[in-house]
Amino acid sequence: MHLIDVQTGLLADNDAVAAENREMLAKRGIYAVNVMSAPGAGKTSLLERLLPLLAARWRVAVIEGDIVGSADAERLAKLGLPVEQINTGGACHLDARMVHHGVHEVVHGPSDVLVFENVGNLVCPAEFDLGEDDAVMLLSVTEGHDKPKKYPLMFRRAGLLVLNKVDLLAMTDFSVEVAVAAARDVHPGIEVIKTSCRTGEGIADVAAWVEGRIAAKHGRAAPPPPPPPKAG
Amino acid sequence: MHELGIAGYLIEVAEQHLQRVPHGTVRRLVVRIGEMAGVNPDSLDFAFECLSKGTGVDGARLEVERVPLSVECDACGRRSPVADYVFRCAACGAETVRIASGREMEFVAIDADDPEEVTGAPD
Repeated sequence: MHLIDVQTGLLADNDAVAAENREMLAKRGIYAVNVMSAPGAGKTSLLERLLPLLAARWRVAVIEGDIVGSADAERLAKLGLPVEQINTGGACHLDARMVHHGVHEVVHGPSDVLVFENVGNLVCPAEFDLGEDDAVMLLSVTEGHDKPKKYPLMFRRAGLLVLNKVDLLAMTDFSVEVAVAAARDVHPGIEVIKTSCRTGEGIADVAAWVEGRIAAKHGRAAPPPPPPPKAG
Repeated sequence: MHELGIAGYLIEVAEQHLQRVPHGTVRRLVVRIGEMAGVNPDSLDFAFECLSKGTGVDGARLEVERVPLSVECDACGRRSPVADYVFRCAACGAETVRIASGREMEFVAIDADDPEEVTGAPD
């Protein structure tokens, strides 16, 4: 018998590119956030509501991940922000290499904040670092309050849990208390904000959380002057 | 479903190593997968079996060492296992715990026949 020592991480390739992305973003003082959830939890709807609030004070760019198509990128492009669509071609998550080119473009442009909208999936995106500062996850009340127990890694990774579609709470058996307790079993420090993209509830709180994180990460409490108004 | 990509990377890394090291038939690839790693060992095994055909590790067995989830407590410094993904120190109950093990996703070693034996050299 002859043992050949390998000792390498199976995600070493991804992690190396993620580290490169993170360094490029850090050099330019760009705050990056990775938004993840199951399909249909409301990532794009949240961004449609949230990004205008952030864009009033920061220059925001978006990298949009979908398996196929550009429907979400088209929705977000209507906000007048630079949006790069990435089609993963069947892959169930964004990885660091897929977004590397987009990150390169963003760091050479005039951005303060980069938002990755990941592919809708509660499993795989959690394992792939993109080089972001923070992971934010959405759980919509129609998905059920047991999800933190079933998909622990995603909840462990996220700094913020957005409980979305709370306008539908009365129509479901979803217990906010059970969901939050389960999320905090997996991740005691996780912050929770309840939102509804239909009524606008909680969106300003999410914006405030992101701004707090920008300040914390890069010591930039005071925003730069607002960007010039864009057409469209 | 990303097990397919991981299996592909595993084979790629194995072939790189095998090019540099003299060896006989490859028997096993040893990987270490934590309880909380986002990898299903059965899916990884199936993906490996499919992708390894015709490569330098065709016929090799994938051996998965599972690593249980454990945390180390920032408050009392002790290490304890994690049951049901409840992240608390089992010794003092503190919530300020860090993952000590269970997130591993590592390619540990390749087990091949000894090249000396293959060429019939004496011990």
